[in-house]
Formats: sequence, C-alpha cells, structure tokens
Amino acid sequence: MEVISIFIPCTVDLFLPHIAEDTVSLLRRAGVKPIYHKEQTCCGQPAINAGYREQAKKAAKHFIRVFGDDEKVVSPSGSCVCMVKYHYPELLAEESEWRRRAEELSLRIYELSQYLVDVRKVEDVGASFDGKVAYHESCHIVRGLGVSEQPKKLIRAVRGTQLVPLKAADSCCGFGGEFANSYPDISESMVKDKVEDYLSSGADLLLLCEPGCLLNIGGFLSRKHPGKKVLHLASFLAEYQETMNDKR
Amino acid sequence: MEKVKQSARDEILSKLKSAPREAVASRPDRPVLKELSLIRDELIEMFSKNLVQETGVVHRVKDRQEALEKLSQIAQEERLKKVMIATDDVVAPLNLVDWGKKNNVEVMTPQDFGNRDSYVDAVFEETDAGITGADFAVAESGTLGLVHHRNRARLVSLSPILHIAIVPVERMVAVYEQAIEKVFGKKESLPSQFCFVTGPSMTADIRGIPFKGMHGPRKVIAILVG
Amino acid sequence: MEIKTEQFSEVAREGLKNAHAHAFLKLRANFVRARRETALSTFPDAAAAQTYGATIRGEAIARLPELLEEFEKNALANGARVFWARDAKEANEYIVNLAKEKGIEYVTKGKSMVTEELGLNEALEKNGVKAWETDLGEFIIQLLHLPPFHIVGPAINISVEKVRDLFIEKINLKEPTLDPVQLGYAARLFLRDKFHRVRMGITGVNIAVAETGTLINVENEGNIRFSKSSPRTQVSVMSLEKVVPNLEDALHLVRLLCRNCTGQKLSVYVSMDNTPKKDDEMDGPEELIIVIVDNGRSKIYQDKIAREAMRCIRCGACLNSCPVYREIGGYAYGWAYSGPMGQVLNPLLLGLERTQDLYRATTLCGACKGVCPAGIDHPSLFLQYRAKDVLSEKTFRPKKRGPTERSFFRLWTWAVARYWLWNLGVRMVRPFINKEAHESVLRNVRGPFEGWFRSRDLPAMAEKTFHDRWKEIQNQNPEWKIQKDNTQV
Repeated sequence: MEVISIFIPCTVDLFLPHIAEDTVSLLRRAGVKPIYHKEQTCCGQPAINAGYREQAKKAAKHFIRVFGDDEKVVSPSGSCVCMVKYHYPELLAEESEWRRRAEELSLRIYELSQYLVDVRKVEDVGASFDGKVAYHESCHIVRGLGVSEQPKKLIRAVRGTQLVPLKAADSCCGFGGEFANSYPDISESMVKDKVEDYLSSGADLLLLCEPGCLLNIGGFLSRKHPGKKVLHLASFLAEYQETMNDKR
Repeated sequence: MEKVKQSARDEILSKLKSAPREAVASRPDRPVLKELSLIRDELIEMFSKNLVQETGVVHRVKDRQEALEKLSQIAQEERLKKVMIATDDVVAPLNLVDWGKKNNVEVMTPQDFGNRDSYVDAVFEETDAGITGADFAVAESGTLGLVHHRNRARLVSLSPILHIAIVPVERMVAVYEQAIEKVFGKKESLPSQFCFVTGPSMTADIRGIPFKGMHGPRKVIAILVG
Repeated sequence: MEIKTEQFSEVAREGLKNAHAHAFLKLRANFVRARRETALSTFPDAAAAQTYGATIRGEAIARLPELLEEFEKNALANGARVFWARDAKEANEYIVNLAKEKGIEYVTKGKSMVTEELGLNEALEKNGVKAWETDLGEFIIQLLHLPPFHIVGPAINISVEKVRDLFIEKINLKEPTLDPVQLGYAARLFLRDKFHRVRMGITGVNIAVAETGTLINVENEGNIRFSKSSPRTQVSVMSLEKVVPNLEDALHLVRLLCRNCTGQKLSVYVSMDNTPKKDDEMDGPEELIIVIVDNGRSKIYQDKIAREAMRCIRCGACLNSCPVYREIGGYAYGWAYSGPMGQVLNPLLLGLERTQDLYRATTLCGACKGVCPAGIDHPSLFLQYRAKDVLSEKTFRPKKRGPTERSFFRLWTWAVARYWLWNLGVRMVRPFINKEAHESVLRNVRGPFEGWFRSRDLPAMAEKTFHDRWKEIQNQNPEWKIQKDNTQV
C-alpha cells in the first residue's frame, strides 16, 4: 500500500484538527497509508508574508529535513503547498544544496484533492449527500496551483449531490492571513460579498479546500448567519461517507 | 580644475548601465498571426464586419464612377454643404472639385488656404465632412492606415464630424505588420505621422456608458473601390 | 499631485461606505472581465500571446540603457528634440520655460499619468500657463479637483447627475440633461475651441520604439491626435521604461494593451510620430520635443527584483481584476497610480515608509499577476517590499518594524525548528487564547486581534491538537504503526 506523508498546517493543527483526521480517513478510503511526522511545525508562510525571509528560511530547512525523504507529501492546504513549491526554491536560491533539495521536494508535494484525483486517480470515495453544494475556489489553489477541476470531480462523484455555481467562485474571500486582522473593514466587505454569493446560490453547503478560507468564511457565518455551514472538502466527504447500510 | 556637472542624460544612462545586468532570455517564437492565411475576399469580409461592429459604414464599389455616385448619395443623406478633402493619390484622380460643383457641395483642400491658420480655422469650423484616401485597410480589426504628408493633412480626417475614407481594395492587408513594413521600411523616408484609425471617436468615461464622437468624427464611412 | 498614500485606511473606509460605488464596481468587474476574455480569445493562443508580451517587456527592462540610447539616436536623427530630466523639478522647469519662451497661454493635455506624477499641471498653472485636460474623464476630474479613480477611467465613479451639474456650472451646458451623449457633446464643443487655437500640446507616450525613434499613442477619443496635430509645438513626456526594441514588438504590445485595457482589438486611434511636420505639410508640429523622465527610476533599476515593476504598460487589467480595488476604489491608493500597479510602483517612487499600506493591504490573491500582459508578479513584489522593511534597506526608504513583531518572530524561528518547543508554546498559549471561549467559540480575544473579531468568530483552540491526537489514532490502529524509515512495522 502506498505510504503518504501528511503535512498538517498550523491553522488545522491548532484550530481545526478534525480536518486532519478527516484527511487521514479520506486517504485511507483511497487506499493509502498516511503517516504523520511529529517533527513538523510550520511551513513558514507567516514569516515570509511578514517579510522575515531569514526566519522563513529556517522554517524551510526544517520542513525539508522532516519531509525530505518522503516519496510523496500531501496537505489539506493549497497555500502551504504553494509555499513549499514556489517559495522554498526562491528563498534558498543562494544555497545550492538546499535549493536542489527544495526543487526536488517541490515535485513531490500535493494539495489533497490534487493528489487524490491526479495521482491516486480516485474520484468516487464512497460518499452520498442529498442536496446542493457550492465550491469556493481558494486563491492559492486555483491560481497558485492551477487546481480547479479536481475538487469538483470529487464533489460530482458524491451520490445525490448537485454542484451549483457561484457568481464569482474564484474571487478572494478576504482572508490573506494578517490582512484580515490588519485591514478588517476591507476584509469584512470581501467576505460579505463571498457569503452573499453563497447565500444566493441556492446551495445547502459551501465547500472549500483551504483552512484559512474556512476560518474566514466560517467565522463570518458563525457571527452573522449562524444557520449556514461551510465545510472543508475532506470533512464533507468524511461526514457523508456511505456506510454499508447506505449502499444496500 | 572645476568639475563639469554631468548632464542629466549622462547621469541617468550611467546609473542604468552600472546597475546589475541581466542576461536577456532567448525569445520563444513570435505568436502566429492567423489572419495571414486569408484570401482577399475573406479579408474584405473580415474588414467590413469589424468596422461595422464599431458602427463604421462600409460600401463596396466597382470603380471611380461608382465611388463618385456613392459620394453623391452620401452627400445627400448627410446633407453635406462644405467638405475638406485630401489631395492624396486616391482622392486626387476623382476630381472632387468637379463633383462638388455637380452636387452642390463646396469642396476645399488645405492648399486652397494661403496659410496654416486659415486652413485650421476652416477645418475646425466650416467643414461638414473630411474626405481622404487611405494607404491601408487592415482586416484584423477593420482599421484604416493613414500616412500623413502634404497631400493628406492630419486634421482632415480628425476634425470634421464625418470622415469618409476611400480605399482601393488592393490596399487591403490582413495585419498591421504588413502596413508597418511598407511605411517604416526606409529610415530616410519616415512620415511625420502614421495613424491607425478604427471607426469613429468614442469614450465611455461617464459611468462606463459608451458613445461615439467624443473629439474626433462621430461617423466613419469607408468606400472600398475595386 | 498631492500624495495621500499615508491616508490609505481613512480613504479606503470612505470608499467602503460608498455602497453606490461598490455596486457599480462589482457590476463593472464582471462586465469588464467578460469583455477582456472575449477580446483575448481572438488570439489563436491567448496565454502564449500574454507570455510573449511579458518576454518583450522583460527584455525592454533588461536592455533599458541601450534601448534608450538607440531611441534617442533615432529620434534626434528624425529631427526631434530630446530632453532628459532627472526629476519632476527638472522636467517641469523645462516644460514651463518652453511655454513661457513662446508666450503660451494655455496647453491642451492628453491623458498622461507621468505628468500627474510630476505635478506638471500645477507647475504650469503656477507660472501662468493654463493646462486643459482633454480626455473626458481627466477633464471632469480636473474641473472637480479630484484625483483619478482608475488609471484608465479616472471619472468612472462620478454620477451622471454630478457631471451634469458640473457642466452647467463650468462649461455653459444649456440644457440640464442626464444623457451622457449630450453631456459628452457639450464637452466636445468646449474643448474643441481649445484644440482649435492651441499652440502647444502635451501628451504622454504609450510606447517609444528604439529602432526607429517612433512615439506611439493609443486612445479612443482623439484628444491626443488633436494635441499633436493642431499646435505648432508637441511635447511628449515619457518615463524611462516606455521604450521597446522594435515596431513588431510595439504592435504586439498594442494588441495586448487594447484587449487587456478595454476589451478592444484596437483602440480607435493609434498614432505613431517620427518627425516634426515636413516643410510642406499644412498641420502638425513644427517642433517635436521628447522629455525623458527618470524621477527615481534609475535608482529602482539598481535592484534586479524591484525593477520588474517597470514592465508595466498601464493597461489597468490588474485594477479590473483586484478584489480589494473593487471594494475601496482608486482614491485610497493616494497618488497617480492606483490598484495593484500603483501598489508595486508607488512604494518604489515614493519610498516604503510613506506607502506601507500599499503593499500590505492585499491578500496576495494573485488575480493581478494572472491577468498581467507584462509579466509582473505583484504578490512577489509586495513580499519583497515587506522584506526590505524588515531588513531596513536604505535605498528604499524603509520603515523599521516594531520590537514586538521582531521579538515574536525571533521566538517563532526558535520554535519552528524545534517541534517540542513549538508544541510547548502551543500548550502555553492555549489558556490565554481560550479565556473568552464560550461553547468552543471565540468571539473576542484581547490583544492584537481585535480586527478579526469585529465581524468574525473563531473556533477555540482545540484542547488536543492533531499532533496530540496522532499518537491516539495510531494506537487505535496498530496496523498503521510506521517505523522511522517510513516502512510499516
């Protein structure tokens, strides 16, 4: 059985650990064995986003040490994967051995839906949900990684589910890490637009693949529209997993 | 000895030259211009479709005679009383001064006026239409190519509210490059100005609402001859 | 032009409150996006066309001094005059003196952002020369004494009512009309008189072609053509980076510019100037004067990464795609250049210290980078500017980061490479964060996170992180135990 090393972003580890558990369960259903290196900490995004490049380099090197020997690394976060794929080689450009290791690792790291559909060739993970769902295309995933069809394929394979379009699915939800806290007025206006789009789409659930977006949209929904839900795709597929009874 | 202050030019250039330089990446192939594969009739059709989309009017006529008849028709429809014409190699052979007499239209050329200022006064205030030839008709966007020179003054195609351009079909080309090749081919004979003109003047600066005839002509009529 | 980059938050808040403008920008964004995509689809391979544009602009920046020299040589051979200006003061002085020498009372201006950067209009007016903006949008904001709202449509946010009232007051509009066509016609008549008698026209330059010394202007209205053809003196102002190698490159960029900017295949007028008018021409400039402006660019050029911002061809596609611009409009950016292109350019020209918000008020969503035909990586540049603040790189006039932040990252760095310390830190911080938690939901946390909690909740920090849980998960599934070398037990 293929062994997959999972990288769990700090947002998930600290605030949304159930997403990590759902990721594990999803990978198991796809027929792989996930392992989790306890030495992992953070990919370094907060540092590089704040301009602390030397500090981000240290995070990068630690990450490469922890994950460097894994055949494949999968993460339920597109922004972390982008950090590793695109920023690590550039951060470590001046240290040729580290740069080589970063470039090499960048070929082996995947966002979760990307891994399942493109590498594992799995779309049907055995789930059913009778209702309409909409999908928010997170910036790092759609523009950073060019991943858009993969999550939708996984959603469309869920029995009974209808994927309805959003008016501006790939428009930023206004998270941007520190941005949401430093420019709260603008951020609020952006998440408000995103939620209006969701609410007027007719969808029962909003799905996405990025923990940051989940905290942002989820946090706004919790405060302003408590009945409406947003789920990470892994959690959706876990929650609506078909049991043996469902299949009969 | 007094140090001569470096000129701005030399200072700027030397700063640029002493910056860290970059090897220039080799270029990928220039993108293909798909219009190049079309034959003339297709080009004429593409040109017309594109110009009409910009609210331009396109007439196709067989020869000079028909061109003059078309002009008479336009003069009537547009109620033209005074027009300013170019004296370029397309318009000159039409003998529009004669045509004007027959059609009750006063035909002026820039050279009629003794001096620049009088000509400019006339082309701003007393002209219902400007009639010029064109050096090119570019199919890819319904665009006219106009070289400006003594026989094709600039304001004739810009100032009046109506611009009538007469273009022999032999001058139809597919893409801008074909026009540019001819116009800029010889360094010693560069024109003072070359213009690509695509339909009437327009703007959408008020609330994004587009309309024609902001400063230049509100209407453009192209007469394709041949 | 007044610099208000330090009032970003204030002005952004005003922009956000304007529901009218917000609705307009949202609607417009979808419309403009569709038009741009349709226009780009006329290329057999739109992505390749955009990439080729980026290649041309990359080469133009890499070869900047040589191309400028070549351009100057050819322009001079064509009979143009070329004046190099180190900064706004030199450029403005030169142009003002030109006007005064000739006893010029007024000039007509084509839309030129570099002249806004220079504050040229103010300099002329201080010296008794009236500068009439003639692009309709620029004309409107000039009369209103407002900065530009959008680099392509500077008055796009002004209501039709406001334009009507303005024209009644300032340009003798007789019939109070809300028809933009009638309003435009009133402006046409008013400005036509100016074009008729103007003796000096001042324009910008979209592209300067090195190989032939040609100046190219791209416009829809015709005001630039008038400003170059009616007067006896033409002054064309260009910043250093406008130059490209040859005419084929210029044509490719013009195709991209028009499609990215307004969704047109080609704008109505593309005028290409080489020489002053020939002796026997009846109109056109007797003098063709080119002003090449540095104003901080040769300094930016020293930094290989930062100078990529100079690729910009001013198409405005980034503004149209930006989710932040869509919320706050153009005024918040505080200077001649707004939206993402202003966010990459203003900090370099004005210094980082007074433009902090410009490269921090972004989610790094990458929409701008995705549409840019010149190949600018805006998000990457924003990160670079933030890094320059942290490293205090003097050339960029940085703003030093505060001690709390620097201490935080010192601690963070120490912990990030030591997982036991990292997890200890999490354990220690949890009770503080979760102090105000109610049913596992945080509605407020005292301290520096007030911004988040204004309109959002946050899940409380989990009592057990996934890291804590993994051991349990593994114990529950003994067949999952994996040895250190990643093989199964």
